[in-house]
Amino acid sequence: MALAPNMPKAWRAETKPHKFCPGCGHGLVLKAVGECIDELGIQDRIVFGCDIGCSLLSWDFFNTDAIQTHHGRTTPVLTGVKRARPDRICIAYMGDGGGYAIGSQHLVNAASRNEKVTVILVNNCNYGMTGGQMAPTTLPGMKTETSPYGRDVEATGNPTQGPEMVSAITPEGAYVARGTTANLRQLKKMIKKALETQLNGTGFSFVEALSACPTNWRTNAKDTWNFVEKEMTQYFKVGELKVPGEKEGK
Amino acid sequence: MVSTAYKYTQKNCDRATFTLFTGLCKGCGLCMEKCPVKCLEWSNDLGVYGTPTIIPKDVESCTGCGMCQLVCPDCAIVIEKIKK
Repeated sequence: MALAPNMPKAWRAETKPHKFCPGCGHGLVLKAVGECIDELGIQDRIVFGCDIGCSLLSWDFFNTDAIQTHHGRTTPVLTGVKRARPDRICIAYMGDGGGYAIGSQHLVNAASRNEKVTVILVNNCNYGMTGGQMAPTTLPGMKTETSPYGRDVEATGNPTQGPEMVSAITPEGAYVARGTTANLRQLKKMIKKALETQLNGTGFSFVEALSACPTNWRTNAKDTWNFVEKEMTQYFKVGELKVPGEKEGK
Repeated sequence: MVSTAYKYTQKNCDRATFTLFTGLCKGCGLCMEKCPVKCLEWSNDLGVYGTPTIIPKDVESCTGCGMCQLVCPDCAIVIEKIKK
């Protein structure tokens, strides 16, 4: 018997190795998503929506229904799918450009309406697909293609803290958390809770995953982990911000 | 079901069987840094992008914790712990 790699069952094996760069955090986040889908046994009910950017390379990643939308419009498209077919489990998968830059209005409005969809946002501090330009989540002083002297917060403002923003506007019953690819077991628990929130129908669920972009950060494996574990978590605090059934401020 | 078979190399360590799918490994090196006992090194086998893949240095040091399998974005590593 030929030995098989230990992939989640929801992954489409014919499209592997996947299209992401070596060391990309998307593979880790999608592995966690795939394992959660397997454990909940909802593969035949998933509608997977991907955004423009590096996240669109996940369009054939899973053996599920998938839709590829306009830039930033993944949340409203999947909101429509969910309203038309309430039995489907809708996962909007996007990067920080699609969620916090061009798609922030949709994210904010879907969150304030408490739509019953799950949004998974991968934050890698830059625009990966177009070559590493400055994004809303670029850390202060971080060098990118369009901020060669480091991001100047006087001129460009502070990095967007998405989960804090979403947890402030969502009503009770929503799930908001920030995980990191450096702690995959915790990230997987968060994604599972987010999908369970949608299955229970209590409200909007949002998970931001801190992720690595070795190609555009120009880092080797050691510096990549160092940046994700030390520098990103200084500004982006990892943890659950809102859990259904728990009082706020806990 | 479409069956997909990938090329792989195997190393039988003392406490675990280490399998690396060279047909999936892109040589990013994330596993080398995450290994708690630093027992992985670059191997002579080339991966899917023509980059070096990884292999345990020796048969004694790998504890079979499975951290490299967990952090591999491409699911290229399988650790089978040998029960004593």
